[in-house]
Amino acid sequence: MTIQVLDPTSESNLQEIQPAKGISSLKGKRVGFISNGKEGTPVFFAHLERLLKERWQVAEVVLRSKSNYSAPAQQDFIDAARDWDLAITGLGD
Amino acid sequence: MALTSRHYELDCWSDAQEFYHSRGWTDGFPVVPPTPAAVNACLEWANLQADALIGIEPVRERPIIAEKLAINAVMAGCLPLHFPAVVTAWTGMLRPEFLLHGATASTGGCAVLLILNGPIRKEINAGCEFNVLGSSDRATSVIGRAIRLGLINILEVSPGAIDRSTLGHPGKISYCIAEDEEGSSWQSLAELRGIPRAASAVTVLAAGAPRQIMNEWTTVPEEILDTYAAEMRANMRNYSIWSGNYVVVIPKQHRDHLQNAGWSKADVAEYLFRKARITRAEWASVGKGSVIRDKGDVEYSALPSPAHLLVVAAGGPAGGFGAIIPPWLGTKSQAVTTGIGVCIDC
Repeated sequence: MTIQVLDPTSESNLQEIQPAKGISSLKGKRVGFISNGKEGTPVFFAHLERLLKERWQVAEVVLRSKSNYSAPAQQDFIDAARDWDLAITGLGD
Repeated sequence: MALTSRHYELDCWSDAQEFYHSRGWTDGFPVVPPTPAAVNACLEWANLQADALIGIEPVRERPIIAEKLAINAVMAGCLPLHFPAVVTAWTGMLRPEFLLHGATASTGGCAVLLILNGPIRKEINAGCEFNVLGSSDRATSVIGRAIRLGLINILEVSPGAIDRSTLGHPGKISYCIAEDEEGSSWQSLAELRGIPRAASAVTVLAAGAPRQIMNEWTTVPEEILDTYAAEMRANMRNYSIWSGNYVVVIPKQHRDHLQNAGWSKADVAEYLFRKARITRAEWASVGKGSVIRDKGDVEYSALPSPAHLLVVAAGGPAGGFGAIIPPWLGTKSQAVTTGIGVCIDC
C-alpha cells in the first residue's frame, strides 16, 4: 500500500528576468552604486569611485545609500537607475 | 476539499523521510508525511479554503496560500488544532513593519519568535512554565517548527539560499512560547497590545537568542530589574546598540517579588526604559572604539519608549532566573500582534 504526499514548496511560476545587456566600455559612462548604507561602505565606495574614474575613465559616479540596509532599495533609487549606464549593487556585508 | 499541490506516491514512511530530506524540504529532523487527509483536516479546522490567500510576501511578491501553510504545518507535526496559530503568525509576519525578507535573509541570524496569548494556550496545552524557552511541550514545539518549515519550503529560506545567517541560533528550529496568564496578576502581552482578553493572539518578533540572567539574592523590584537592564545594556554593547522591541521573560519567582510590591508591567517597562541605556563611548570597552568617533557622549536607549518592551510572564515556578530576548534590527523590524480568528480594526 502506498501513501500519497504533497509538495510543500510554493510551486510558483517564477517569471524569468533577462539580464540587462552588457556595455563594452566604461569610458565616459555614468555609473551608479546602490549601497546598503552600512558603516564601512563610504570608504569602500569612495575607493571604487576613484578606481573607476582613474583606470576606466568613467565620467560620473552616482552613490545612493539605502536608509534600511535590510530592506529593498527605495523606488526613487530604482527610478534614478534608469538614467545610469551601469548600476553596481548586489549581496555583501 | 480539492488540493492543488503536486502529489507523489511513496511506498512507506521511511521512503517519505528520504524523499523530503533529499529535496531539501526539511530542517534536518524527520517530518510527518503530509497526506491530503491530514492537510485537509488542518484547513477544515481553521475554516480555510485551500486556495485562501493569507498574504503576499512584500519584497518577492510571493503569495502565501493556506494549502501550503497546512502542508508545512503537518510536516512539522501540527495537529489541526495547532494550525490557526500558524496561520495567524504568518499573517503578522507578512505585515510590512515585520520586514520578513530582511529578517529571514539577514546575516544577523534572527529567528521568528512567537508568543501565544489567550484561550488557545489551554486548548492546545501550550506550556508556559518549566523549560519555557526550550522544548517545553508539543504544541509550542510544532507551531514554531511549522513557521521555519514554511519559510524553508515556501520562501526558500534555507541556509545558504535566502537565509544568509552567519550563525543563526537554536530558536530557528522552533521559537514559540506561551504566556503564563493564570500564574500572573498582570495584563497579558496581547491585551496590552490591543487584543481583548477573551480572544487568542499571536505576537511575532524577529528576535535574537535568549540571554539568561540570574538574581536570587534580593526581593527588591529595582534590584531585580537592574539585572535585566544590565543584560540589555550588555546586548547593546556586544551586539547592537539600536533600540527596538526587547522581550523580557519573567518567571514566577521574580514575578512574585514584583507583583507583591505592586509593580505592573507598565512599571517594569518604565523602569527598564530609564535604566537600559548606554553611551556610545562604552563601545571602547568591547573593542568597538573605532566607530565611536565624535558620538561618545550620545546616549542610546534600548527602548524607543516603555511601550516597546514586551513583558512576558513565563517560566518555571522556582528559580531567580529570567531572560531578555533582543530584537534583530532595532525599530526597522517591529513586533506584530494579531488576533486569532478575529479582526480588531475592520
